[in-house]
Amino acid sequence: MAKARFRYLLLSFPISLMLIFPGSVSASRSTTEVILSRGVLLWGCDVSGGAPLAFVDPKDPEKLLGFEVDIAQAIARELGVKAQVVQTDWDSLVPGLERGNYDIAMNGLEITPEREKRVLMSRPYYAYTLQLVVRKDEQRIRNVADLKGMSIGTMAGTSADALLKKIGGVDIRAYSQTWPFDDVALGRLDGALMDTPIIAYYAKPDQRLKYAGPPEEGGFYGIAMRKEDGDLKQVVDDVISRLLRSGELRRIYETWGLWDAAQARLSAGAPERDAADRLRTESADAPLRTFFPLLLQGAGITVLLSAASMALAIALGLLLAYARLSHGKTFSSAANAYIEVYRGTPLLIQLFILYYGLPNIGITLTPVAAAIIGLGMNYAAYEAEVYRAGIEAVPAGQMEAALSLGMPHTLALRRVVLPQALRISLPAMTNDFIALFKDSSIVSVIAMVELTKTYSILAATTLRYFELGLIVALLYFGMSYPLSLLAKRLEERLKGGR
Amino acid sequence: MIKVRNLHKSFGAHSVFGGIDLDVARGEAVVLIGPSGSGKSTLLRCINGLERFEQGEIDVGDIALHSINRVRPSRQDLETIRQVRLRVGMVFQQFNLFPHMSVLENITLAPTLVLGIDRRSAEAQALAFLERINLAHKARCMPGQLSGGEQQRAAIARSLAMKPKAMLFDEPTASLDPELVGEVFLSIRDLIEREGMTTVIATHEMHFAREIADRVVVIDQGVILETGPPERLFSRPQHERTRTFLSRVLRSL
Repeated sequence: MAKARFRYLLLSFPISLMLIFPGSVSASRSTTEVILSRGVLLWGCDVSGGAPLAFVDPKDPEKLLGFEVDIAQAIARELGVKAQVVQTDWDSLVPGLERGNYDIAMNGLEITPEREKRVLMSRPYYAYTLQLVVRKDEQRIRNVADLKGMSIGTMAGTSADALLKKIGGVDIRAYSQTWPFDDVALGRLDGALMDTPIIAYYAKPDQRLKYAGPPEEGGFYGIAMRKEDGDLKQVVDDVISRLLRSGELRRIYETWGLWDAAQARLSAGAPERDAADRLRTESADAPLRTFFPLLLQGAGITVLLSAASMALAIALGLLLAYARLSHGKTFSSAANAYIEVYRGTPLLIQLFILYYGLPNIGITLTPVAAAIIGLGMNYAAYEAEVYRAGIEAVPAGQMEAALSLGMPHTLALRRVVLPQALRISLPAMTNDFIALFKDSSIVSVIAMVELTKTYSILAATTLRYFELGLIVALLYFGMSYPLSLLAKRLEERLKGGR
Repeated sequence: MIKVRNLHKSFGAHSVFGGIDLDVARGEAVVLIGPSGSGKSTLLRCINGLERFEQGEIDVGDIALHSINRVRPSRQDLETIRQVRLRVGMVFQQFNLFPHMSVLENITLAPTLVLGIDRRSAEAQALAFLERINLAHKARCMPGQLSGGEQQRAAIARSLAMKPKAMLFDEPTASLDPELVGEVFLSIRDLIEREGMTTVIATHEMHFAREIADRVVVIDQGVILETGPPERLFSRPQHERTRTFLSRVLRSL
């Protein structure tokens, strides 16, 4: 089944927030005071991240459901205000908090030393464990010890990710906007290791999957707040403790089927530093060069993807332009339709359909194949138009001269007009190729890790957004600029003919 | 050799010809003169199928061109037109050499691909042509490196390489600097006098008409005003309009 992730956008809020609260909250008033006077607690969350934490009610898209929604409402109630979600990409939750887009961030954020360097984490409100799921007929994997050499899906930058890295030799596939469970069921992945709430909601009811092994040590979820909001942390911690003591949290978790021994221990006493710490391999203090191998690998994939897609786009685009100019009505209308559809729909959706939709009719593509085909077919529509413009820019006299020599139309097109059209089209094509390099980052939604996704994962784990961002920008530039120079050289050489 | 009968042609609402006739005998050199917009170019372009016409008939050698469905010509129609073009070559005001190929390649392209002549023979033939018009030394050059006059002469050689029975020249020197007109004129004259090539030239250049035409045809607003040998036409024009036109033109010389 295709899982199209539904995005609940509260556009006006983040925008107006940025206007009213540029950067951090002003020093004159504490965040708690601001919340109280505003009457609204803004919490950052990724509702497309889904159940059972916070997600859109399928029966009523205006409503949100999930245990974190319940907790947020409880906290707001204790403060005497209302709770409002500020939809944010999961990878951007902490940066968004630091920018002041909302007061707290709560969305299954694990309490880790890296996070605590940048933001304040509340006391734990949920103790999660990690659970491995595999296909129902899977015989090779009985627990996490059997994962060497297997391809396992997980959420990037989480302790599940860290555990897999620690096991070593695992082909880790990172997901952040979609879940890996379909891919496990379809055989694209051998298994998935994720936090229990997510497994309990999505994988447990799935007849095609089964649990493998007992739950592994996980850690705790906490609410993130800005460093300067110590008073808010006090308030939030108090509320959480109260909710634990009064049994309200227990009721919420029981409703979602998430109450277990771990939660009981949590409500009993103050939690110790969790096991997740021991599993961290990345440190926020590591020199930048430790990230180079990963980044270069990402860059390599970007280059490969872009080159292959562009080749497909050029070839297909040429065919389309040719078909459009042909005298046959069927060919030219088919080409026209293709161009309008592919230009008129988002690349993202085309990729989703290609990767998640086609299995419905029996065609299961690998991420690489889907990426190249998706990008190639999309850009082909644009290249076809570039060629058409190039062809129309060739003076009419050229075709007339060729025809006057007794050449059939197709021959004249092929030998006289198209070569000239290609030369004219070259700047536009180079432009598109360079754009494609950057657009290739979109394939992260179909489980391909290229340079931008690598950056996203590393930054989410180490929180070093700025330094890593600069390096990645430089890498992209280093890939695009030589292309630009090469194109200029090519144009010069071809101009020699004029 | 070329017969035009009752030709009707319009561009949208604007009628160019309301029924025009023209005869060109084998070996004859006909020069069409007339003011801009008179239809000289259009007439030539109708003959070699670059323009469709609504009514009338054009015979080129043994082929008859009828008014052809302009929206969707049948395969047969397109092939008929192509056959006409194999018999009648065209030289354009803008030369229209293929800029991405050398002069030699320009000339050998059609013979090799359309007539199936092997490359070696085609090249030898092309070089022979170029020798005759003193352009052999530019054979390997790209069109952009040639002067206007050289380009036009190369274009003429390119058309001749297809061994046409007749040649149409659509304002061949109109884009040339005055000092380059002469060399093109000489090439065309050579073609007519040495080869006896059936030629139709649409031009503004009066001395084309005077010196190489067997017959001059004066056209104005799609109507043939007068036709006759150049000596008679220039010295004793019969129509008022012809006289006005000629006097205007001759005065500006």
